[in-house]
Amino acid sequence: MSDGTKTQPANANRDEFNPFHSMEHQFGLAADLLGLDKGTRDVLRQPDRELTVTLPILKDAGNIEVFTGFRVQHNFSRGPCKGGIRFAPGVNLDEIRALAAWMTWKCSVVDIPFGGGKGGVICDPRELSQGELERLTRRYTVAIMDILGPDRDVPAPDMNTNEQTMAWIMDTYSMHVRRTTTAVVTGKPIAIGGSKGRREATGRGVMIVCREAMKKLGRTPEDTRVVVQGCGNVGGIGALLLHREGYKVVSVSDMYGALYNPDGLDMPAVMDYLREKGRLEGYEGADSIENEGQLELPCELLIPAATENQITSGNAERIQAQLVVEGANGPTTPRGQEILDSRGVMVVPDILANAGGVTVSYFEWVQDRMGYFWTEEIVNSRLEQVMVKSFQSVVKMAELHNVNLRTGAYLVAIDRVALVYRMRGVFA
Amino acid sequence: MTENPSDSELLGDIYEDQALPSTPALDEETPFATMMSSFDEAAQTVGVEPAEYQILRKCDREIAFSVPVRHDDGSMEVLDGFRIQHNAGLGPFLGPLRISSDMRIVELRALAAWMTWKCAVLNVPFGGAAGGLRFDPRAHSSGELERAVRRYTANLLTDIGPERDVFMPDVGSDEQTMAWVLDTVSSHARVTENAAVTGKPTEMGGTKGHKDAVAQGLRVILRLGVDRFDLPPKGMSVIIQGAGTVGGHLARILAADGYRVCGISDVHGGFFHADGLDIETILAWRAEHGSMRDCPGDFERITNRELLTRPCEVLIPCATANAIHSKVAAEVQCKLIVEGAHGPVSSRADKVLEERGISVVPDILANGGGVVMSYFEWVQNRMGYAWIMPVIEKRLRRFMAEGWNSVTKTQEQYGVGMRQAASILAVKRVSTADELRGIYA
Repeated sequence: MSDGTKTQPANANRDEFNPFHSMEHQFGLAADLLGLDKGTRDVLRQPDRELTVTLPILKDAGNIEVFTGFRVQHNFSRGPCKGGIRFAPGVNLDEIRALAAWMTWKCSVVDIPFGGGKGGVICDPRELSQGELERLTRRYTVAIMDILGPDRDVPAPDMNTNEQTMAWIMDTYSMHVRRTTTAVVTGKPIAIGGSKGRREATGRGVMIVCREAMKKLGRTPEDTRVVVQGCGNVGGIGALLLHREGYKVVSVSDMYGALYNPDGLDMPAVMDYLREKGRLEGYEGADSIENEGQLELPCELLIPAATENQITSGNAERIQAQLVVEGANGPTTPRGQEILDSRGVMVVPDILANAGGVTVSYFEWVQDRMGYFWTEEIVNSRLEQVMVKSFQSVVKMAELHNVNLRTGAYLVAIDRVALVYRMRGVFA
Repeated sequence: MTENPSDSELLGDIYEDQALPSTPALDEETPFATMMSSFDEAAQTVGVEPAEYQILRKCDREIAFSVPVRHDDGSMEVLDGFRIQHNAGLGPFLGPLRISSDMRIVELRALAAWMTWKCAVLNVPFGGAAGGLRFDPRAHSSGELERAVRRYTANLLTDIGPERDVFMPDVGSDEQTMAWVLDTVSSHARVTENAAVTGKPTEMGGTKGHKDAVAQGLRVILRLGVDRFDLPPKGMSVIIQGAGTVGGHLARILAADGYRVCGISDVHGGFFHADGLDIETILAWRAEHGSMRDCPGDFERITNRELLTRPCEVLIPCATANAIHSKVAAEVQCKLIVEGAHGPVSSRADKVLEERGISVVPDILANGGGVVMSYFEWVQNRMGYAWIMPVIEKRLRRFMAEGWNSVTKTQEQYGVGMRQAASILAVKRVSTADELRGIYA
């Protein structure tokens, strides 16, 4: 979710815009409802393990530069840890810690057998050559190798890392253990053990969740107008698939601006245009508008699929949609959520709505472990099963406790992790 | 794929059986270089970076070691053992274990690389390897053979296993050999490692359908060829050279499918009848007598060479390398040749056939059923769950068809013959994986 729009929220309130605080807040809320004892609560709040590593890299110029990397494993009671690796200048342990916990809940909501992990290296990839990036990736892999492995911790791409990065990790790990170990990372190229359908997985998951939620609200695709913020792997593919399902996608955006056509956009043509030009601006089948205010366009379904803190106390009153499906991580602030709740807007939370990606990562791991690869149809149909089932269990939990879907999702997630924790007991 | 009689029932003494895989079409002196030449050409066509291709020009690792064996009479002999691992870009190595007294390391090199290409064309996640033990299994007792195989395996323990290097049977080795290897690896590892070998007995993790896998693959190829080469969908006439594991099974399958099998041969000569032969009777005779020779019947008795030049729609050489050399190629009377054996069409013959407009489905695609089935066995062992026959049949059809489609697509893209297209596809897939993985340091 590195691409996409960034609307500057009005009347900024610092506390409102820390997505990790909002997750903490959600955790507390759900833990109270579940009546979780203090011990279990403390266990689930802290990461199981944190590793900080120093990475000396030989630069192309011949000098050595030392980088710092992290890998945090939040909780492995439900299985090996799963979570991305990001390369960015702003990476810090607090952020990685929060993202690792986020992964625990996300994996648990969709009931895949993983705990949460996250890793990162403090660096600016734009200032590194391809060779330096490769050396950095390989050295990082070796540095965290003791806690890595198909049954320990399985990284995936995240901010500024991609298929190629995963290929290097897979190669480095395999060479060290002296056996081909494709299942040590997911998000690999298909040529070396990647899964079909992974690239589209998050967008497809968003589409499936939208469909299920719309069914619940009793709307048909034909009379549903959709506004999508973002046009990358999540927003773009989500919009394309919704269009294919018969929804009327009236607006999409990228970081430079948005397109709006109240009669519906021709999504395949928009995506072709974007692929060719690199931006949406100038597409002729729609009006080009400012990003500011895009979320407030008239529509029934709003999909923020760009970045965090987009629906806030500043604009939640003016959101016209009946349903918000969070394609991005943390697009709605707690204040924003409260306002939407009071106005009766249904919000499908990020840890459910955008879990299609991690679900197909799980499928990739499964396929690598057996060494047999599914067709795209099979991947998609299994993703559909997982998303539909998860949506239903979240709705059921929310109805049971009479809470919104976000709290419902945290209830489902924490309940599952806590149950496993109790069953396994405290290892001594 | 019905349950077939066992190999020994069907084939008699397997060491007389020419249909077992032999080394690809080779120059006697430098089989590796000869085998690689068509891939060099392919690499040039695709425009693979010369540096990148250098990786493919050499084997990743060659292991040579001595294998001391105690004979039954108490004396000792030290044998030569080899394992050649060609390229691990696409996954663990997979390759045959050959046990033969006149086995040479250059042949193993060629065989290992050939396995790399074959796995790549069929899109199974393995690199190629080949192993050899210089030993004459016929001149020794079963106990001596077992001790040799176990010691050979023990010497390789750090280099083999389900994610490192996987064995399959070849000349001189069989189900029993694979069982010994499995047991040796598992006993040392203290865990059951049945994915370390393929072609095992079904009782210990072998897959159903292994025995006639190559023939079943050829059957799929023939069906795909019907549309592509405008062949009659019913009653197509075929000539099969070879009556062993590949040829014999194939003849039986095709006859049951309603093909007209007009000719078949074994090492002693062939039979031909334009209206088709009674395959069941001939194979039954061969199983009983160890050879087709003297089998009664109403057909022409001809030499192997004559058989190849009789009229038919599809000619399927399943016996020796270079059976169709340039002179034979000038005389064949078929529309299509499907290579059931390794390298049955010589490179000069290839040119003659091209001029005559006769297409050849190359070995690395056509006889890949065996490799695909080995892969299926490995997958089932990894899951610990065995597939039923209909699932195996369906998946084999899918893999063969996908290989076929990729090759024909490559053919259209580059405007080359099918053999060259298969080579291009293989080089592309392996070098892509190598490039993605990068150079580990």
